[in-house]
Amino acid sequence: MNYYMDAFGEAWNLIITMDQELLKVVSTSLRLSTSSTIIASLISIPAAVIISRTEFAAKKVFNVILNALLSLPTVVVGITVYSLISRRGVLGEYDMLFTLPGIIAGQVILIIPLLTALVRNTIFSIDEKMYKTAKSMGANKKQQFKLLLMEARYGIIGAVIAGFGRVLGEIGISMMLGGNIKGVTRTITTAMALETNKGRFAFALALGFILLILSFSINFIVYFLQEGEQYE
Amino acid sequence: MNRGNKILKVKRLKKKIGEKEILNIEQYSVIKDKFNFIIGANGSGKTTLLNILSLVDRDFEGEVYYKGKLLSKNGEYLNLRRKFSVIWQDPYLYRGDVYNNIALPLKLRKINKKEIHKNVKEIAEKIEITELLNQSVHTLSGGEKQKVSIARALITEPEVLFVDEATTSLDEDSIQFFNSHFADLVTDDMTVIMVTHDRRQMELLADRIAFLKKGRVVTSKPAKNYDFDDLGEGIRGRVEEIV
Repeated sequence: MNYYMDAFGEAWNLIITMDQELLKVVSTSLRLSTSSTIIASLISIPAAVIISRTEFAAKKVFNVILNALLSLPTVVVGITVYSLISRRGVLGEYDMLFTLPGIIAGQVILIIPLLTALVRNTIFSIDEKMYKTAKSMGANKKQQFKLLLMEARYGIIGAVIAGFGRVLGEIGISMMLGGNIKGVTRTITTAMALETNKGRFAFALALGFILLILSFSINFIVYFLQEGEQYE
Repeated sequence: MNRGNKILKVKRLKKKIGEKEILNIEQYSVIKDKFNFIIGANGSGKTTLLNILSLVDRDFEGEVYYKGKLLSKNGEYLNLRRKFSVIWQDPYLYRGDVYNNIALPLKLRKINKKEIHKNVKEIAEKIEITELLNQSVHTLSGGEKQKVSIARALITEPEVLFVDEATTSLDEDSIQFFNSHFADLVTDDMTVIMVTHDRRQMELLADRIAFLKKGRVVTSKPAKNYDFDDLGEGIRGRVEEIV
């Protein structure tokens, strides 16, 4: 028992003394998650608008596939992207394996379905009268799109934050595509797995605390955004 | 000014939703600077016709003319749409406060802030909603929401104002307010196309009345030629009860 109590104390100490190795791992994770979420958002938000607002032949099938991809296992994404970016893969010449862009590519693929589905649901829930009113007020196409985004903003921000949380906590892609290289591609989750195996329990625990704090913060933000949506 | 001109006209207009025919109108004209009423039972196609005339709905067969010029179905007609305003039966107000909702059409036209502020204050005073300007739209009653939507439609001083059963979901006080103030809010050079069930509005305001039945214009004639008493004895307002 004393071992665990000591580890708790040491973990806390690592956090309050802002241990450099710890900070490096956390900052790598945050940089990766932010980049992946921004790229995925730029693809997913327009895609969700198109899916929600246009009619095309395979729309139903597309929606079913999109829903199925919500539970995409990270290791499946990891191995798929690995086969593309490894030396023998079609993108092998770009040397992306075990680099940050390699991890970002995998994480973007992982959260595109999640972001697209959440934003699609938000846009579906917007009253049809919103579009009629925008047209009747004299909005051009760009202004109609901006009004749609403004009306859906809480749902969209909530979706983006949920995507950020998903990539921050994933391990399969970071491990397979990043290789867990110290100071380069080591993220919170891959470092936790490694340091626990190595017996540096306090270091892994400190990372666990930070991950928990980040996850709670993300969930609080999503919750308050939903509250704001109800009361604004 | 040439009063009595046709500002909008539809010819051989057909609208279907799936297999169901919603509209089939050989010809219908809107007279400039007049109160043009469209009446008819529920499901007779009044709102669909209003959507097409106001260029909100461009998915139909047939021809729509503005001041004699045929409008292509593919054109966005932004400048023309900006001469129109619509007051909807169940208005949609955008997130935020009343001020921003009323100011929105002017912001879309890139009018400067000072002028927007002046115009919002003026229209809010006319419609007696000045005290609501800083309130969130989610706190408004149905009547207040409709007043805000009226202010939002009138702030651009539209050439053509479309009114789609604006009082149907209002309480009696709000209907009284609408009926007594509406004519004052409309300028002389504004054409009004009004879909209604309310007989009092027809008697008070109508210059011309078109009667729709099952998607067809059965009659379209000056209001003075309508004998409202012929519509039925003991009728209180709702034309759908008469036809």
